[in-house]
Amino acid sequence: MGKIVDTVVEKIVFLCGILSVIFVILIFGFLFIESFAFFKNFGILKFIFGRYWCPNSEPVLFGIFSLLMGSFFVTLGACLIAVPVGVMTALYISEVVNKSVRDILKFLVELMAAIPSVVIGFIGMIILVPCVRKLFNIPTGLTAFSGSVMLAFMAMPTIVTISEDAIRSVPWQYREGALALGATKWQTVRRIVLKTARPAIIAAIMLGIGRVIGETMTVMMITGNSSRIPHSIFEPVRTMTAVIAAEMGETVNGSMHYRALFSIGLMLFLITFTINFVADLFLGKNKNK
Amino acid sequence: MVDKIKVENLSCYYNKKCVLGSLSISVIQNEILAIIGPANSGKTTFLRTLNRMNDLNLTYSHRGEIYLDNNSIFDMNRENLRKRVGMLFAMPTPLPMTIYENVVYAPKHLGLISKKFEQDVLVEQALRDASLWNEVKDRLKSSAMKISGGQQQRLCIARILAINPEVILFDEPCSGLDPISTTKVEELMIELKRKYTIVLVTNNVKQASRVSDRTAFFLMGKIIEIDTTDKLFVSPKEKQTEDYITGRFG
Repeated sequence: MGKIVDTVVEKIVFLCGILSVIFVILIFGFLFIESFAFFKNFGILKFIFGRYWCPNSEPVLFGIFSLLMGSFFVTLGACLIAVPVGVMTALYISEVVNKSVRDILKFLVELMAAIPSVVIGFIGMIILVPCVRKLFNIPTGLTAFSGSVMLAFMAMPTIVTISEDAIRSVPWQYREGALALGATKWQTVRRIVLKTARPAIIAAIMLGIGRVIGETMTVMMITGNSSRIPHSIFEPVRTMTAVIAAEMGETVNGSMHYRALFSIGLMLFLITFTINFVADLFLGKNKNK
Repeated sequence: MVDKIKVENLSCYYNKKCVLGSLSISVIQNEILAIIGPANSGKTTFLRTLNRMNDLNLTYSHRGEIYLDNNSIFDMNRENLRKRVGMLFAMPTPLPMTIYENVVYAPKHLGLISKKFEQDVLVEQALRDASLWNEVKDRLKSSAMKISGGQQQRLCIARILAINPEVILFDEPCSGLDPISTTKVEELMIELKRKYTIVLVTNNVKQASRVSDRTAFFLMGKIIEIDTTDKLFVSPKEKQTEDYITGRFG
């Protein structure tokens, strides 16, 4: 009897385990099939490097270069803000404050991850966008910069939490060894602690970036949704994710437009997959040491 | 006979609980002073107070004075003090970099040397002084984490020698080492005493009798007896000391 239960449980666990793998493969396969049909029809280079996204014009144009640039600008801006602030927050939490403050800070940072993205977009729209418009004296506050600021908030919990774990897992002996040689606390942190934790911190940053690229709702609400190639971070942009979310509802199932959106999905998938893969490489490198 | 370190009425506390009570002791220049005693006798606390490593522990506090060459160590800059008073830990603590970098790490960042050839000379000298040179000279660029425990411990000694301190504190330096490595480290200590003043905390009573000039016996945060090693081991004055060194307790 016990043996039957064992076998059944084993099968169920196996099924659950294999399920996520099957899903990934299915999603990828589906994206790939739809995209392939589109690429055969439209041409992959024209798709990636085309300057105009005009699905309703005649002839139709499905160039995603402006969308790629939009995603790139927003992501770059978010990184420039979230990486230094996030890593320094992690340093502060792990190296400076005492345990009770650390627990509160960690809890609050992790709570940030729980804010729904639509709420972040909403706050950005109401508070940040008018501020940006006035502060930089530009025609509209719905810019890549606004998106970057709000997305930085979304990437921070990931960056802070993983970096903080990495910093605290640096063996205490390394610090003592360096301190006993007459290094100051700051020198020890910079030359020993950060150096040892670097692979994991890079992985944390990559995972944060992964989240930013895939984020949809916030950018749709506050980046202006203008599919032109931006020349600076203070111009409205449209990201790949926003296009899919905004246009998928209007397309005819199986049409060219529909398949073009799937191709964008494939691009996004490939980008985030690469980023996660690189992050995994760094995390793995850290463990083997 | 010059007093290198002079400790006056030192009391140490963790969370206000006294672990070391009004201790007065001197360390003479160029001697090896061994400190023996059972667990919880305050040996390591005492040692870690001498180069103020205990400052890192927020629950720690102390009263009393310690003088290094007649200057109070509590008035000194902590980093400068640690440059003058090096410390070797129980477990080898190589930094996660190459052997070469481990040795030049401190002198380079303390600004003692800068040129490449100076570094090469320093690395060779420090490794020779730590009698490690012959074993690692062909793989200075490989990671310090890959050499054996005994070699790592001598590398840590070389690292201390590279900043040319005045006093070296050994905190149970051989507790994780095999007998051959232990012998090497002990020989090294005797060699080093010509240039440096050494304080050795050890759980190994025989080690104290082999290498030290004077020995202090700590028990429950009090110093029970201090004398030249020959006298203390042959004819201890206190009953507790005799019991401990003959292995009747502790």
